[in-house]
Amino acid sequence: MSVENIQKINFEFREKLNSVAEGFRHNFCYQCGACVGDCPANNYSGTFNPRIILLKALLGMEKDLISPDSEIWNCTNCYTCWERCPQDVRPIDVIIALKNLCQRLGQAPDIIHKISNSVMESGITTTVTSATVRRREQYNLPPVRDYAVDEIKKIIGSK
Amino acid sequence: MKYIPFFGCMMTTKYPWFEAAVRKTTAVIGMELVDIEGFTCCPDPIYFQAYDKIDWYTIAARNIALAEAVGHDIITTCSGCTATLSEVNLTLKKDMELKDKVNKRLKKIGMKYNGTINVRHAVTVVRDDIGFDRVAETVTRPLNHLKVGVHYGCHLLKPSHVMNVDDPDHPTILDRFIEATGAKPIHHEKTLLCCGRACMTDSISSNMVVDILESIKANNADCMGLICPTCFDEFDTGQIILGRKLKRNFSVPVIYSFQLLGLAQGMTLEEVGLNMHKVKFDKILEAVPA
Ligand code: SF4
Ligand code: SF4
Repeated sequence: MSVENIQKINFEFREKLNSVAEGFRHNFCYQCGACVGDCPANNYSGTFNPRIILLKALLGMEKDLISPDSEIWNCTNCYTCWERCPQDVRPIDVIIALKNLCQRLGQAPDIIHKISNSVMESGITTTVTSATVRRREQYNLPPVRDYAVDEIKKIIGSK
Repeated sequence: MKYIPFFGCMMTTKYPWFEAAVRKTTAVIGMELVDIEGFTCCPDPIYFQAYDKIDWYTIAARNIALAEAVGHDIITTCSGCTATLSEVNLTLKKDMELKDKVNKRLKKIGMKYNGTINVRHAVTVVRDDIGFDRVAETVTRPLNHLKVGVHYGCHLLKPSHVMNVDDPDHPTILDRFIEATGAKPIHHEKTLLCCGRACMTDSISSNMVVDILESIKANNADCMGLICPTCFDEFDTGQIILGRKLKRNFSVPVIYSFQLLGLAQGMTLEEVGLNMHKVKFDKILEAVPA
């Protein structure tokens, strides 16, 4: 490898990531790999690797990390890496911070918008169908109440 | 004791028979559920948290604050709601800076998060406040012949330093819940594997589901027992869809923990909604005499 090809650290990206909630945590990673062995997304994909994601965050490899097709979206949110990391990096929280950054930069997959819009517009992620109403009656359950959509709209999105 | 139930989107709209099972069985073991107005989605710990973590904390804190105003602990019945509400509650109780940030937002609607109540999954409350001995006393039809393949799911246990429920690598809480009904909990190779639901690549999550189902079958369990409607969705409907795709018949019926308790307390299959499940439950039927 020639000197020109050596990966240079993109400090700007680190700063961007530091500005998101929990986005500073990657700075504590010392690349031991303890988060990898029991990571199900790693075991089942062969390519997803939380240590590599942390390394890319440290180096600032924005193109790899910030996109709707980024490997970060294969994390199953199982929290095993949080259990294993000796540095309390909480790799899952760094992955979530990267996802938040994707969203801010317009790089999140459609499903993120679909589900978050549903929460913001209707108060829930699912839909109340006629079957819902019928079945709740059948099981003698209280009817579905109003979801406080107005209140949600007032408390989100402000810095 | 009084508790405020938080049933969540999935159970309320798609699997109301689980809610019925929770309401009926908890009444029998002496838990009084007090319904309150105004809850929204917890919000969802996967997609909504991925959207914006501070918004996620804020909406969760609003839900918790509603219960604080009434003054009873919240019980959750879904691992996703547990992940959000327990984690947010425990984090905000410790992180004053974050709490102030969230409260600044809640002030706009005249609300405040104080950190005065607990949020726990219903099975944790059953273990810690009621006790499995008391649960066993309410069993009129012990499910002695039923072998239940245990599926813990991730969010009841992890992150363990936040959740404080059980040893995440050697948990016993669900095993003991199942034992209280007279049934036999079966640990298998994939007892602790994630259902894969949150993963964006379908092949990764379906391989996880297949491995879990196969591991349950290989250990001769009659069914799978779990505590989360989202895991249920992944294994019941998901099993049918996968079966069609792979041209295979897994035949692993899936049962929600409080349905199991309902059967053991003498409720009918219809009362707890087992007849609504996609995967046939003949083996459960054999173990539960009419
Ligand atoms: S376990 Fe922690 S310190 Fe080690 S590689 Fe993973 S994130 Fe980095
Ligand atoms: S939460 Fe951690 S261990 Fe689980 S899939 Fe994601 S990176 Fe892997």
